[in-house]
Amino acid sequence: MKKTLTLLLSAGLVATATQAFSSPKEDLEKFRTYFEQRFPGVQLNDFGNGPYALDASKRLQWESMEEFPPYEEYVDKGREIWETPFKNGKSFASCFGKDPSKVRVKYPHWDSKTQQVVTLEGDINKCLKENGEKPFGWKKGKIAHLGAYLGYEARGQKTNVVIPNDPKALEAYEEGKHFFYAKRGQLNMACADCHVYYSGQRIRGNTLSAALGHTTHFPVFRAKWAKKGKGDGLGTLHRRYGGCNKQVRARPFKAQGKEYRNLEFFHTYMSNGLEINAPGYRE
Amino acid sequence: MKKLITALGLALLIAGCNATTPEKPASMKAQYEAALAETQAAVDKAASVGGEWRDIRWKKSKKKYLPSAIKAAEAGDYAKALKLLEIAKFQAEAGYKQAMAQKNAGPRF
Ligand code: HEC
Repeated sequence: MKKTLTLLLSAGLVATATQAFSSPKEDLEKFRTYFEQRFPGVQLNDFGNGPYALDASKRLQWESMEEFPPYEEYVDKGREIWETPFKNGKSFASCFGKDPSKVRVKYPHWDSKTQQVVTLEGDINKCLKENGEKPFGWKKGKIAHLGAYLGYEARGQKTNVVIPNDPKALEAYEEGKHFFYAKRGQLNMACADCHVYYSGQRIRGNTLSAALGHTTHFPVFRAKWAKKGKGDGLGTLHRRYGGCNKQVRARPFKAQGKEYRNLEFFHTYMSNGLEINAPGYRE
Repeated sequence: MKKLITALGLALLIAGCNATTPEKPASMKAQYEAALAETQAAVDKAASVGGEWRDIRWKKSKKKYLPSAIKAAEAGDYAKALKLLEIAKFQAEAGYKQAMAQKNAGPRF
């Protein structure tokens, strides 16, 4: 009797637990299905082209820009940064390995030693510090040039974020997921409001991109970021996160802080299987 | 009778002036200091749950209600400072409530 009771009880518990908690894999399937049904004419990899996958008139303009892409010179700058040795004679290859095409797909990842999400930008600055060099700024400039080069070298490879079955890693994933779905700021809007439920619709001259494919083309060259005082046009994913938080009148979080790293973990995982097409061009 | 009313009115006026005018800066200052402490506590509370809004004190905000209030008070304009603090405090409390209400946010599909 006691045994059956325990069995029944634990079965009940398991049932409620799976109802309340969905695994990353289940999340990904539902997320994918949502966009497939919302945009039945868009092929999976094309989501990596952001608003241009969803808006035919904007796409024409964008395709003509991509013929002579303004980010090319930054890919070259990034290559130079990769190849230039540090003062101690070592180089980025001593941290990341010799093959620059194998770097980008490793990020972001869970680091079981430090129990946190590690990003490409984080490891770039870690490498610099460990070699006695001054770290780069987080959002634009050299860090974005090097990212553009490593992204370019990795073009065509598939996004492949692994969420290990480690409670701490799952917690970081859940935090990132929560960040994405929680409304914030004076305008009371979540990332998901604009990039899931309103994706494909127009807002102040912009077509809202789908969150599926959001991460494949970063760092990105934006015409807006090339304006006077904003930098040379290139920016990282966390720069964009800050911009989108600011838009809804929420205080942006620090680039490479825990909030945005966990968000990147979830956000990039949702694009698993999509090809890397960095750097991208956007208006 | 008429005289009495005028006298009373005058007395009241004088009393009124005495009660507010000379003490006004001092009491406004105290009021400001209390409001500032309350607002700062509300902002810290909102920030502790990631619910701080853009225009309370973020350095790139054009409004920066909280630092602007402090500046106004430093310039002696307590009335303006109090008005700005009121907005900052409202926003901080609303941001905190929002974060609490969103605790279980997740996909709707
Ligand atoms: C008020 C609507 C709104 C909200 C909320 C919002 N964004 Fe955006 N976001 C935009 C607009 C507009 C653009 C530019 C057009 C586009 O690419 O969608 C954009 C662009 C982006 C891009 C670049 C897409 C590309 O193809 O280059 C990313 C990534 C992004 N947002 C992520 C987020 C994240 C993460 C959040 C939540 C922290 C968020 N956004 C919240 C409106 C919003």
